[in-house]
Amino acid sequence: MNRLKSLILIITFLFFLSWSGVAIYSYLQLGHLKTVAGSDGVLPPDYSGKAILGAQVYTANGCMTCHTQQVRQLDVTHSDIDRKWGTRPSVALDYLRDRTAFLGNRRIGPDLSNVGSRLTDPVWYYQHLYEPDQITSGSIMPSYRYLFHMQKIQGEPSALAIALVGPHAPPPGYEVVPTKDAQDLVAYLLSLKHDYILPEVSAETPSAP
Amino acid sequence: MNHATTLSKIETISYLSEPLPLDSSRSLEIDRSMGVPILFLMRSSFFSFALGLFLVLICSIKLVFPSFLDGVSFLTYGRLFPVAYDLFIYGWAIPLGFALILWLMARLSAAPLSHVRIVTAAAHLWNSALFLGSLAVLAGYGTSVTFLEYPNWASFLLFVSFLLMGLWVLLLIKEREERPLYISEWYLLTALCSFPWIYGTANLMLTWGKIQGSAQGPIQCWYAGSLMQFWLIPVALGAIYYLIPKITGIKIYSYYLALFGFFSLLLFSGWNGLSALIGGPIPAWMMSAGVVTNMMLVLPMIAVVVNFYKMFQESEKLILHQSPALRFVAAGIISYVIATVLSLVSSFPCFNAILNFTDYLSGIFLLLFMGFFGMTLFGGLYYFIPRLTGISWSSSKLIRFHFWLSVVGISLMVSSMLLGGIIEGIALNDPVITFTNILSYAAPWNVLVSLSWFTLLLGFFCFMRLLVIMRWQMIEEKLPLSL
Repeated sequence: MNRLKSLILIITFLFFLSWSGVAIYSYLQLGHLKTVAGSDGVLPPDYSGKAILGAQVYTANGCMTCHTQQVRQLDVTHSDIDRKWGTRPSVALDYLRDRTAFLGNRRIGPDLSNVGSRLTDPVWYYQHLYEPDQITSGSIMPSYRYLFHMQKIQGEPSALAIALVGPHAPPPGYEVVPTKDAQDLVAYLLSLKHDYILPEVSAETPSAP
Repeated sequence: MNHATTLSKIETISYLSEPLPLDSSRSLEIDRSMGVPILFLMRSSFFSFALGLFLVLICSIKLVFPSFLDGVSFLTYGRLFPVAYDLFIYGWAIPLGFALILWLMARLSAAPLSHVRIVTAAAHLWNSALFLGSLAVLAGYGTSVTFLEYPNWASFLLFVSFLLMGLWVLLLIKEREERPLYISEWYLLTALCSFPWIYGTANLMLTWGKIQGSAQGPIQCWYAGSLMQFWLIPVALGAIYYLIPKITGIKIYSYYLALFGFFSLLLFSGWNGLSALIGGPIPAWMMSAGVVTNMMLVLPMIAVVVNFYKMFQESEKLILHQSPALRFVAAGIISYVIATVLSLVSSFPCFNAILNFTDYLSGIFLLLFMGFFGMTLFGGLYYFIPRLTGISWSSSKLIRFHFWLSVVGISLMVSSMLLGGIIEGIALNDPVITFTNILSYAAPWNVLVSLSWFTLLLGFFCFMRLLVIMRWQMIEEKLPLSL
């Protein structure tokens, strides 16, 4: 039984080496970061209530299956910043406010860590979520029509109604309005702006190419 | 038919040789005692595998025709794709690996099982959690953490039922006869003990309780890497170390090499998951640790493959030709070698900058998952299902179909993902090329990937057909077990 015991001991030791080295150490080193004071408030900025609900819609629909939220460091690649997916590489502090960090591992669609700075018009988001291929020709994003509601126009058309042209556009007399989920999701996407300058990265901020 | 009988004769002869000779009445008793839980675990894993293949086929068609089944919440890509992969991992890889562990542990411990009802009950609990959890993810209650998508209650039930099954196996080992552990048992014990620990830690930090977002990235990657290194690879290697000596009758070539392979795998595993975050928002030392360990994983691969190769070399060529189990195992080993080398390439930061986030890495994952783990375990199934049920395979033609359809499917899928991934990566790295243009470069490869999922599904149907025939025979002969 002695050999069995020593074997189990070595296995346990090696296993805990990686377990403590990666899981526990990351938690200790990165799990207790503090916000920093920026020129216009606390950084990273907190999400609005709508944006927090929107992050839940993002979670429920698995957006991170196709979209990453990380701009890679410059010593590895310049392409993320050259694509205007961000002005600086992402750092751990950027995810401080995220309940779930949507780093992602696959780019079937573009990176979204700064989509709120890139595209600022909520209507664009609604149209794109409803009929992606009409807005961006060649897009393979699926339609999120189920986040919208088609209704008969009664009296004045709704202020929220969105203009659509594709095969799923509403027939005359009807209009398409975003549900609360869609509104929250767009609020969340619009709040994805990691372009503030943090003290720990300001030194690495790239000069214009 | 003739071919099949010679084949089963060969395997019956060899199965009485190394590594542990058992008289046949004893081994029959052992097999009978655990037939119920093992066959139950296998049945449900086959069901999940077929379902997973079907769902992932729909997903791959969606990438080619985005309007296919679109606009329906529970069929959207972001929900369907994780469910398909979770079915593969928690529905297929873990129960099937567990069935294999049960069988090998009982065989190697030379003890019949007692209180098997605990395992069967835990397996039922596992399946219910899996089924309800998958439905919940489709309904929008997923967590969006890779491989940990199930809602908290479902992942907690999975955790508890695995603990139940695992503790029961540990008790079995305690009761075993006094004897040094066989190398297969080392691997299987490692897998058995580390899975609940990894799964528990990852869930505790990412889903049940949520640590600060800034630390979640490394934990997510650590979990995905550990799942591969502490479950899929050890289970498959444990199976191979059992199957080759059993079928060929050749002893393990070098125990020192086996020792080295085992401990070096253990030393570098877990860390290597960090290589998925090269250039990501983590401290530099983590990245370096990920890169170095991912490269070092070539060492255990070489050690085990040299061992296997020497054993193949010494064995009679006739057995290699006629044993379906060995043919599947050989395909598995080849996949392991290729995948480890490809993964080594992708961990160089200069290549990783191009290949990260593309299909290249998905291709490596699938080569290890379907090619190494899948083919090896199918090999194991071809060996041990006839021994459990007492009925030999009815058609060597269907086995050959299963083998070749799987080989063609996996090679087509992996090669198109690798090539597509490289093209996609080079294009992504050139900011002049617009994103929608990159999609058009990837499009033809996506068609090939859909085609290869379909081929894999066809191959699996051949296997299912073999099982259905066996089930009929069992009903005719009124055997106590049901398949």
